[in-house]
Amino acid sequence: MIITSNLSKKYNGVSVLHIENLEIPKGQSFGLVGNNGAGKTTYFSLLLDLIQPTTGYIENNGVMVHESEDWKPFTSSFIDESFLIGYLTAEEYFYFIGELRGQNKADVDALVSQFEDFFHGEILGQKKYLRDLSKGNQKKAGIVAALIGNPEVIILDEPFANLDPTTQIRLKGIIKDLAEKQGVTVLVSSHDLLHVTDVCERIVVLEKGEVVKDLATTEATLKELEAHFSGSEVV
Amino acid sequence: MIKRFLSLEWKQFRRASYFQKGIAIKILLFFGVIYFGGAALMLGAGMFFILKKTFPEIDPLVMVNNYLVYWILFELMLRYFMQQLPVMNIKPLMIIPIKRNSVIHYLLGKTAFSFFNFISVLIFLPFSIVLLFQGYPVVNVILWFFALMCITMSINFLNFLINKSNTVFYGIASMVIAIVALRYFNIFDVTEPVGKIFNGLFNQPYLAIIPLLTMIGFYKANFDFIRKGFYLDGAVSKKIKEVNATDLSWMDRFGSVAPFLKNDIKMITRNARPKQVVLMSFFFLFYGLFFFTQKVYIEEMPYLLGFASIFITGGFLLSFGQLVPSWDSEYYKLLMSQNIPYRQYLESKWYLMVFAVIVAFILSTPYLYFGMDIYLIIAAGALFNIGLNTFITLFGGALNRVPIELDTKAKAFSNTNGFNPTQLLIALPKMLLPIIIFFIPYHFISFNAGIIALALSGVIGIVFKNFFLNKIEQVYQKGKYKTIAAFSEKK
Repeated sequence: MIITSNLSKKYNGVSVLHIENLEIPKGQSFGLVGNNGAGKTTYFSLLLDLIQPTTGYIENNGVMVHESEDWKPFTSSFIDESFLIGYLTAEEYFYFIGELRGQNKADVDALVSQFEDFFHGEILGQKKYLRDLSKGNQKKAGIVAALIGNPEVIILDEPFANLDPTTQIRLKGIIKDLAEKQGVTVLVSSHDLLHVTDVCERIVVLEKGEVVKDLATTEATLKELEAHFSGSEVV
Repeated sequence: MIKRFLSLEWKQFRRASYFQKGIAIKILLFFGVIYFGGAALMLGAGMFFILKKTFPEIDPLVMVNNYLVYWILFELMLRYFMQQLPVMNIKPLMIIPIKRNSVIHYLLGKTAFSFFNFISVLIFLPFSIVLLFQGYPVVNVILWFFALMCITMSINFLNFLINKSNTVFYGIASMVIAIVALRYFNIFDVTEPVGKIFNGLFNQPYLAIIPLLTMIGFYKANFDFIRKGFYLDGAVSKKIKEVNATDLSWMDRFGSVAPFLKNDIKMITRNARPKQVVLMSFFFLFYGLFFFTQKVYIEEMPYLLGFASIFITGGFLLSFGQLVPSWDSEYYKLLMSQNIPYRQYLESKWYLMVFAVIVAFILSTPYLYFGMDIYLIIAAGALFNIGLNTFITLFGGALNRVPIELDTKAKAFSNTNGFNPTQLLIALPKMLLPIIIFFIPYHFISFNAGIIALALSGVIGIVFKNFFLNKIEQVYQKGKYKTIAAFSEKK
């Protein structure tokens, strides 16, 4: 589904990301972990053509991301609050995204209604603009908006941060379900090792812009990751 | 303590984004301040003599007093829309051992140095000095001036209250409407009785105590208001507005650009900054009055009329359009990664501007009063605006990469967002092109030929709409990464 080849990004000659080769097959739930500055958000930004690669390319379902806009109809994402339109209510925002993705109001309503427990009654029908919601609630709205319009690829940057425990657990269920049952390719980044190992079939560790580990998740994975990040590598 | 506050303010001032701009803009700003300050000074100094010449039988001071009420209302309006409330970064100060009272006194005292207070000073100080030279009694003049300053400060503090509570605003707004309506329908003219009050103020200088007390009263009211709400969720918090949802589904008939149009309408009606722009563009409608009331322009320099006509219908186009990608800067990444072809995005903005030009053109119908010729030239100007100016403006927007904070009012004189030399270069064709297009056929053939040429240029633009939009799209596409990077920079 997503093929990354010889991809690098340099700022003023300093390399922040360099991935020789990375293939993510369709329907995989893919986790990206790494410390601050490891290049996770940079990689996602490249995937969304928000920044320009210095060398190499990303191919999303056969479309060269930095050359064509044709990946947009089947790709959706939530990276940060700049993906929200602050002066809309949550409903208006969902309908707007729906309209962009060729969904009518009823479609959007049907999808959103599945997430009522996820919203905890704090998002829909609030008569509040998104900019006046709390950070956690903004995030929930953004994540659900990324699910509108049956995307084939969903990219979520740090989806678990700022969420309350109930919602975190619910979100993990949603992501697993998307990948296993609906064949959606889900890309998630996180600082929380426990959450990623719970959710993702495959975990890639980035360090200073390079892939240092590429693991298929097993029961031992969490231990291995913890060892890696605490600096006491066990072989 | 005050010294510490002042040092904080100084840092805020020095490190504000508009000071980080290039030297050229600083110089321009400086001249701008000098120009407007000078204009106010000249007005103040010259007012006495102008009034004396125009109405020789009435004492200029009486005249000024009669119309003072309008000035006060105007000032109130101007402040309501333009003056930013002085919410000093109060949060960090709340937990530091500083007496609340001194923080509030400081906050309120700071507003005394607002730019808007200086307008009054710059106008009325020279006027008062002229009065003194003209032999008006010294004590009366000084106390009259003092009273006016107290009134200005009262307005200053009143504005703070109005901005914080809607009831006060609706009360005052209905009062203004009532006054204007009563005068308009010749039922009751508030000018004279109010004039009498101000004249009385001048004749009995000890009455200056009343405005002084008013000012103190408003100060106290503000103080109590903030004191009471000196909590995170109180007066210093951002006001959370209830949603005013309007059904815009009738716009769906515009097809693929409809979602964007609906969004833009919401953007304009729900954010402070775009509202301000709409208000400004409304004032542009009156721009023609400068030109059409003067015989010099009509008889000797009619090519300048083409210039004026562009502004009458193009207010929104020029002020909104030049900041086109910036309006969406807060969520530009979303737009760039969502299922949106750039082309549709630009096209919707184009429709919005065209719509605004048409509305402005309809509103400009009263210009028929100046004759058919004038009206036709406005019509031709509107066509030019739709056909060419929209594209030039959109093109100029591509070169503008300054993020906008939607829900913050632009401060007077710090509104240099999107102002750079390239913008200036882009602005030139907007101004000069209509003059040239009108002047050449006018000079060689006739007045009507000029109008036709201007109108025709617009029609050609509309015919080649797709071509222009494609070209502009390429420019936007090329600058995409730079624009995203610039918009995501923190201000």
